[in-house]
Amino acid sequence: MNPLLSQFLAEANDLLASVDEGLLQLERVPGDPELVNEVFRAAHTFKGSSGLFDFPELTRLTHAAEDLLDQVRGGRLALDSGMTDDLLAAFDLIRGWLAHVTAHERLPASAGNDAAGLITRLRAPLGGEEAGPTSASAGPARVISAAPQWLAWFDAEWLTETAGWLATTASTLRFVWYTPDTDCFFRAEDPLHLIRQVPALDKLNVVQPQTWPTPEEYDEYACLLSFAVATRAAVGELEYLFRYVPDQIEIVELDADAITRHLSGEPPLHVEEPVTAAFVPMIDSELAADARAVLHAAHRALTMEGVVTEGTRLRSVRHAVTAAAGALGVPVALAEAGPAELIEAVVRLAGEAAPAPVPAAVAVEPVERREERADERRADDPGGQVGTRVLKVDQEKVDRLMELVGELNVAKNGLTFLADAAEEEFGSRVLSRRIKDQYAGLHRIAEELQAAVMDVRMLPLSVAFGRFPRLVRDLSRRLGKTIELVTEGEDTMADKDVIEALGDPLVHLVRNSLDHGIEPSDERVAAGKAPAARLTLAAVADGDAVIVEVSDDGRGVDPERVKRKAYEKGLISEEELETLSDSEAVDLVFRPGFSTADQVSDLSGRGVGMDAVRASVEKLGGAVTMKSKFGQGTYTRLRLPLSMAVTQVMVVSVSGQRFGIPVDLVVETVRVPVAEMGRVLHQDVVMMRGEVVPVIDLARVLDMPWAPGEGEDRRILVVSVNGQRIGLLVEAFHREVDVILKPMEGLLAYADEFSGTALLGDGLVLLVLNMKEVLGLAARVA
Amino acid sequence: MTSDTATRARVLVVDDAATVRLYHNSLLSEAGFEVSEAANGLEAVEASLSAEFDLYVVDVNMPKMNGYTCVETLRSETVGTAAPVVMISTEDRPGDADRAYQAGANLYLVKPVAGDRLVRVATMLTAGREEAA
Amino acid sequence: MPLELHEETANLIGVVTVDEVEQLTGWLRTAKRPKVGLRRCNHLHTGALQALLLFRPKISSAPSDAFLATQVLPLLGVSGGPANKQGSDPP
Repeated sequence: MNPLLSQFLAEANDLLASVDEGLLQLERVPGDPELVNEVFRAAHTFKGSSGLFDFPELTRLTHAAEDLLDQVRGGRLALDSGMTDDLLAAFDLIRGWLAHVTAHERLPASAGNDAAGLITRLRAPLGGEEAGPTSASAGPARVISAAPQWLAWFDAEWLTETAGWLATTASTLRFVWYTPDTDCFFRAEDPLHLIRQVPALDKLNVVQPQTWPTPEEYDEYACLLSFAVATRAAVGELEYLFRYVPDQIEIVELDADAITRHLSGEPPLHVEEPVTAAFVPMIDSELAADARAVLHAAHRALTMEGVVTEGTRLRSVRHAVTAAAGALGVPVALAEAGPAELIEAVVRLAGEAAPAPVPAAVAVEPVERREERADERRADDPGGQVGTRVLKVDQEKVDRLMELVGELNVAKNGLTFLADAAEEEFGSRVLSRRIKDQYAGLHRIAEELQAAVMDVRMLPLSVAFGRFPRLVRDLSRRLGKTIELVTEGEDTMADKDVIEALGDPLVHLVRNSLDHGIEPSDERVAAGKAPAARLTLAAVADGDAVIVEVSDDGRGVDPERVKRKAYEKGLISEEELETLSDSEAVDLVFRPGFSTADQVSDLSGRGVGMDAVRASVEKLGGAVTMKSKFGQGTYTRLRLPLSMAVTQVMVVSVSGQRFGIPVDLVVETVRVPVAEMGRVLHQDVVMMRGEVVPVIDLARVLDMPWAPGEGEDRRILVVSVNGQRIGLLVEAFHREVDVILKPMEGLLAYADEFSGTALLGDGLVLLVLNMKEVLGLAARVA
Repeated sequence: MTSDTATRARVLVVDDAATVRLYHNSLLSEAGFEVSEAANGLEAVEASLSAEFDLYVVDVNMPKMNGYTCVETLRSETVGTAAPVVMISTEDRPGDADRAYQAGANLYLVKPVAGDRLVRVATMLTAGREEAA
Repeated sequence: MPLELHEETANLIGVVTVDEVEQLTGWLRTAKRPKVGLRRCNHLHTGALQALLLFRPKISSAPSDAFLATQVLPLLGVSGGPANKQGSDPP
C-alpha cells in the first residue's frame, strides 16, 4: 500500500475514535462548544485528507457531516439525538469503507448508494442537499448553456439536426470532452472502455492527433486520442462514470439555443488546430496562471487598507511579485519599491496581454533539482517532524520486534543447556561457570529489551472500553432501559493482545447485563431502586495481572432458578441441586450449554454463552468469576495477565517427553514417598498440610507409556485450577523457562489438552498444557 | 551552514492532518526541497523561531492556532519573516482568500492541490530567494 | 490468447487489454500488408485502437460487438457509418 494511504488510514482511525467519543459526550453535555469544535475539527480534517485520494463519496459524506457540525458549532442549529444518530451512522459507514479500503485500496462499489441517503439526511436540517459537487471537491465543472469550443468536433449537420430535435422537445443533451492524460495507460486506465460504458451514447468522435509520430518514434504507451461524446445520460451518471478521471473530462449540458449559437457564431474548430499541442503549452500556461494568481493576491493585499505598509509584509510582497514576474519571463527590479510602485508593477505585469514564453530554466527547475539532489537525500535527512514527537508505528513492526525478542530469549535459554553440556559432557566446570556468567549478562539485557518492547505494546484499557458508550447507548435505547455507564481505571495499561482479546468477552458481559441483568425503569422503581440503572466497567492493575470488572445494580442472578435450570438441562445431579451453595449456583452460568434466558434474545442470545466467555478468558491465561446478590446486582470479574506475549512455563517430563505448564498455575513441586500416597474413591490422593489433594497420572491422561518405579518417590507438581489444588504425577521436573507461546497448528490444532507450542533453546518444541482440559480428560479417563 | 542546506530551499509544511503533511512533504522533498513539518500554527511559530524557512505552506483550519493567526504571527515582530506563504484550505468561501492575504499570505489555494501545481508554485516562489532575503 | 498473429494476418479475439498493445504494435510495425480480423473481438484497449488508427491495417472482418461495430469500425476506414473527423492522414 502506498505510504500516503496507510498514513491516511492510521489517521482516520484516530479521527473516527474522537468523533465517536465526542458525539456521545455531546449527548450528555449538549452544546458544549469545546466538544462540538473537537468533532467538527475531526470531520474537517477527514474531509481534507480524503480529498487526496480518489474517494469522492468519502469526501462528500464527510463534507455533509462537517457542514452540519459547522452549523451546530456556530449555534445556528441544536444537535438532537436524531442528528447524532445520523452522524454516528455516517461515521460507521465510513469505518466500514475504510476496512474495505484497507483490503482493496478503494471504496466499495456500493459506496455511492450507501452514502446518498445519509447525505440527504445530514443535509436536511440545513435545508436540503447542496446542488452539485462543490468547487472544493474538484469535481468536473458543469456548465449549462454555453457551448464549448470542442463542440466543433461534432459534425455540423448532425448538430443542426440535434438542435432541431432538442428545440422541438424542449430538452437538453449532455456532451463530454475527454482528454486522457498521455500516461494514463500506466495507471491502468482504458479510455475507450470508459467510453463504451457511457449510457445512452448518442454520438462518439474519436479525435486523433493532427500529426502522428513516425512508426519508429511512436510510443504505444502514450495515449494520443481524445474523445468527444454526446449522450442522453444525466450529468450525475456521467460524473459517476468518470469519477476517477475528473480532471481529464469536461461535461456540459446544452440546449438547442446553445448549439444553434455555436453553429452560427463561433468559428468551428478544425483539423488545423493541433490537438497534441494542448499537451506542451499547458505547462507554460499553468505556470503563467499560477504567477498571475500570485500577482492577483499581491494586488488584493496591496489595496487592502493598512495591510501592506512596510517591514516584513512589504518585503514579502516584493519578493512574491519578483518571483511571479520571473516566472512570466518579465524580470523586474523592485529592490526598494514601496506599496505604490508595487501596485503599479503588478498592474503592468498582469496586463501583459500574452505572457511571454517561460524561460526553460524556470520551468524545468524542479526536475533538475531532483536529478542533482537525488544522491544527497538520505534516510537521515533532517527534514521532517518539527513538532510532533510521537511516532506512529505499524503494528506489524512491533509484532516483529516482539518475535525477535522471543527468539533472543530462546537463543539465550540455549546457553543454559550449553552450560550443562559443558559440565556434564566435557567435564569443564570452569567453562560452564563462564557460560553461565555470559548467560546472566545476556539475560539482563534481554529482559530489559523485552520490557521495553512490551512497554511499546502497552495500550490503555480505554481502547477496550471505548466502544461501550456507544454500545450501551444503542442497546439501552432499543431495550427501552435507562442506563448510566460508568468507566473507571481506563488509564490502566495492558498488552495490546490482551486488550484486543478482551473485546469480545467484555461485549458479551455488557450485553448480558443489559439484556438480562438490568430491569426496565418501572420494575426498578417498584423494587425501590433508582430508575436509571448503573453499569460499571472498571479496570485495575494487580501485579502482573489486570483485573476488569463488569458490574450492574440489576436484578442479579436467582440461584434457585439457575440450579433448577441446570438440573433440567442435565448439567447437575439431583444431589447437587440440593447441596450446591448459592455462589456455586451462580458459577453454573459458565457451564457449557447453560443459558439463563428462557428465550434466546435478539441481543445477547447470539449463540455464545457465558461458557464462551470463560473459555476465551482462560485461553488467555486468565480467569472469570461471577458474584451476584439476587435482587441487587451482578458482578463479574475478569483477571488477565498484563501481557501474554511471554509466558513463563514450568517444564516437566513424562515418558521422556517434555511438557510446559504455565507457572501461574504451579503451587509447588513435591517428592512424596510411595508410602504416603493414599487412595480415596479410586482416586490417588496425597495429604498436604492436612488437605487432601487428588493426584492425576499425567502419563495415563496423555496416553503415554510410563509408570513410576516400584518404591520410588513420586514426583508431584501441585497446580491450582479454578481454586482447586490438584497434583500431577510426572517423571521429572525441569527448569522454568520464558517462552513465546504460539497457537497450535496443523494436526494438533484440535488437541484441546494443549494450549500452544513453544520453541526451546535446544531447538525442541515444547507442548504447553491446557490444565483445564487436562483435568477434564483425566475425569473421562478415570 | 553547509552548502547543501544553503542551496536547497527550506519549506515548512503546516497542517494538522498527518496525511496532508505526508503528501505535501513527499511532493516537495521529491522536487528537491528540504521539508519540515508542523502540526499546527503554534508549532509552526515555534519552529520559525529556531530555524529559517524559504517558504511556508500553511493549512487554514487547525487546532491550537489556526492558519490565519499563524501567518499573522510569522509576519509580526515575533518572527518577522518575509518568506513567501502559501495558504491551502479546504474551504472556498468568499472572503477566505482575502482573510489569508490580510494575514500576510502570498497565495491562497484550495485543497486538494494537484501535486505538480504545489511544486510549481513552490519553485516559482523560492526562485530568487537570495535577492529577496 | 487475445492475439492470433500470422505473417500478414492477425485476429483479435475477446478482450484485447493493455498487455497486448505492445505485441500488436510490434506486429503492425513489421507486417508489410497487415490485415486484421475483428469478428471475435469484444473490446479493444485504447492503445490497440490507437495503433490500428496509426498503422491503418486492412480490416478483414467486422466485429460482432455492437459498440465496436457502430462506433469504432467506421474509424478504421471501413464504410458503415458517417465518417468521423480525423487528423491528417497518417504518414
